[in-house]
Amino acid sequence: MKKFVNQHTIVVALIVIITGVLAMTFVTHDQGLYQRTIAQVQTVKNGKPQRQKDNFDNVDHLVNQSIKAKIMNGRYKGQTVRLTNQYSDSHAMDQKFKIGDQVFVKLSGSKHNLGGTIQDYKRDRVLVFLVWLVVVLLLLIMRFNGALALLSVLLNGVIFFLSIQLDLKMQATYVMLIFGSLSFVFAVLTLLIVQGPSKKMLATLGATTLGTAVAMGLSLLVFSLTHERGMYYESMQYVTQVPRPLFLAETLLGSLGAVMDESTDIVSTLFELKQLNPDVTAKSLFLSGRRVGQSIMGPLINVLFMIFMADTFTMSLLYLKNGNSWGYTFAMNMGLGTVQSLISGIGIVLAIPVASALAGILLGKRGAKIS
Amino acid sequence: MSTISGLGLVLMVLMIIIGGKQGWKSFLSIILNFGFLFMAVVMIAFHLPTLPVTLFTGVVILAITIFMGEDDLMTTQTAFYASLIVLIILILLIIPVEHFAMVQGFGEEDAEDLEGMSLFIGINFVDVAITTTVLSTLGAIAEAAMAISAGLTEIIEKHPDSTDKQLFRSGLSVGESIIGTTFNTLFFGFFGGFLALFIWFAGLGYSFGSIVNNKIFVSEMIMILVSFVGVILTVPITSLVMSKRKNKVDVDSTSKKE
Repeated sequence: MKKFVNQHTIVVALIVIITGVLAMTFVTHDQGLYQRTIAQVQTVKNGKPQRQKDNFDNVDHLVNQSIKAKIMNGRYKGQTVRLTNQYSDSHAMDQKFKIGDQVFVKLSGSKHNLGGTIQDYKRDRVLVFLVWLVVVLLLLIMRFNGALALLSVLLNGVIFFLSIQLDLKMQATYVMLIFGSLSFVFAVLTLLIVQGPSKKMLATLGATTLGTAVAMGLSLLVFSLTHERGMYYESMQYVTQVPRPLFLAETLLGSLGAVMDESTDIVSTLFELKQLNPDVTAKSLFLSGRRVGQSIMGPLINVLFMIFMADTFTMSLLYLKNGNSWGYTFAMNMGLGTVQSLISGIGIVLAIPVASALAGILLGKRGAKIS
Repeated sequence: MSTISGLGLVLMVLMIIIGGKQGWKSFLSIILNFGFLFMAVVMIAFHLPTLPVTLFTGVVILAITIFMGEDDLMTTQTAFYASLIVLIILILLIIPVEHFAMVQGFGEEDAEDLEGMSLFIGINFVDVAITTTVLSTLGAIAEAAMAISAGLTEIIEKHPDSTDKQLFRSGLSVGESIIGTTFNTLFFGFFGGFLALFIWFAGLGYSFGSIVNNKIFVSEMIMILVSFVGVILTVPITSLVMSKRKNKVDVDSTSKKE
C-alpha cells in the first residue's frame, strides 16, 4: 500500500514537472504565432546617467541604452536590428532592458541596415507560469472541487467577453440592462456549478439577486439625495463610453461574487442545520443565519475593499508626488473606488437577512424537505 | 452631505442593525484599513523603503481584518499566524514575478490621465507594483484563513480527540467547500472593476496577442492569479497551524492539571 502511494506521488510529480516544462518551452518559442515582429536583446550599451529634476523637486536619472537585438520571427528572422531605449530610475512608463529580454519592435530602415523602435515587452511567459502554478496547486490540493472552481471561473470569463461584444454591438445604449441581466446569468451558472440544481441553489440565487438589487436601489436613492456630490466620473480610467452607467455596471459586477459567496455560506449552513434537526423553526433558522452572516461580512467587505483600493495606489502616489494635496488625491483617485466598496458592502450586509429569511421560509415548516 | 458620507452612513447603520456589536467592529475595521492603506501611499511618497512599508502595512491590515472580524481567540490567532506565513510566501513569489513581468507604473492606455504630470518622481514603480499586488491579496488571505480556522475550531470542539491527520483532512474539506465561491469573489472583484478597460480592448480591436502582453492587463492578471495562489495555499497552511496549535494547547492544559 505504502509503495503504491509512493509510486502515485512520483507519477503526479512527474506530470507536474513535465506540463510545466512543456508550457514554458512553448511560450518561450511561440514567436511564430505573433504577427508583430519580436526581437531578443543580444547586447546592451548603457550611457551615462543624466540627473534631472522636475517642478516638484523630484530627482530622477535618465539613462540611454543602445541595443542590438536578433529578430525571432517574420521576414527578417535571424537578422540583427539596432534599437535605442531610454529609462529612468522610476520606470513609470519605461524600463531597463537586459540581455535575453524579448521585445516587440516596429522595424524601419533598409533590409541591410535594419533599425526600429521598441513598442512593448513580451509578457506572456509570466502569465503562463502563473496560470500553470494556480492549476497545479488547485488540482493537487483541492482535486475535484478545485477543477470545478476553475471551470466556473473560466466559464464566467467566456461569458464576460461575449457580453462585452454584445455591449459594443448595441453601441453602449443598454449598458445597465446588458450587465444587469448578465449578472443574473453569472449567478445562475456559478451557483449551478458550485451547488448543483437544488432547492438550496434557488434560495442562494434568490438571496443574491434580491440583496444586490436592493443594495443598488438604495445606493441610487442615496445618489439622488446627495446629488452625487463628490463623485468625479471624469476621474474614471479607460472610459470609452458614457461613464456613469459604466461605473454602475462595474460596481454591480464587482460585488456579485462576494454577495454570492456570502449567500452560499449562509444558506448551506442553514440547510445543514435543518438536516441535523428537522424540527427547527423558521425563527431560529433566521437567527442562526444572521449569526453566520455577522462573522463573515467584515472580512468579505474587506476583500473587495482591498481589491478596489489597491488598483488606485499607483496613481495616488503619482498625484502626491506631483504636488497635489491629500484631499484632492483622494477625491480624484480613491473616491470612486470608495463608493464601489461602500455599495458592495451594503449588498453584502443586505444579503444576510434576505438569505436567512428565504432559507427560514423554505425550511421552517414542519416536514419541509431539504431537496 | 457628499455621496461617500451618505453611503458610508447607510452602510454603518445597516451593519449595526444586522451585525450588532460585531457589525460595528467590522465597520471600524474597514475605516482603519483605509487609514493604513492611505498611510502606506504617503509613507512611500516620503521615500521610505517600500518593502518594509509593505510588510508593516500588510501585517497591520491582516491583524485588523482578522482580530476585529471575530471574537474567538483560537480561530483568530490561528488565522493570523497562518495568513502571516502565506503573506511571506506570496511576497517571495511576487518580487521575482514583478521584476520579470515589468508591469510597473502605467500603460499606454493611461496616457490621457497622465497629461501634464511629471513621471520622473525618483521612486521605483517596480517596488510600488510589488506593494500594490501584496495589498490586493490581503483581504482574500484573511477571509480564507478565518473560514478554515473557524471551521476547524468547531470540529475540534465537537471531536476533541481528532488526530493531526484527521484535522488536516477536515481543513482541506472545509477548503474545498469554500474554494468555488472564493474564486468567484476574486474574479468578479478584479474583472468587474476593469470592465471599462476590457471594453476599450474590444472596442479598439486589440488582438489576443496584444492583450496577453499588455502592461495593464498582465498586471491585473498577476494580481488575480497571485490572489488565487494565496487562497489555495491558505487552506493547507491554516490546517497545519491549527493542528500544531491544538497540540500546544493540549500540552498546556494537561501540564496545568498536573
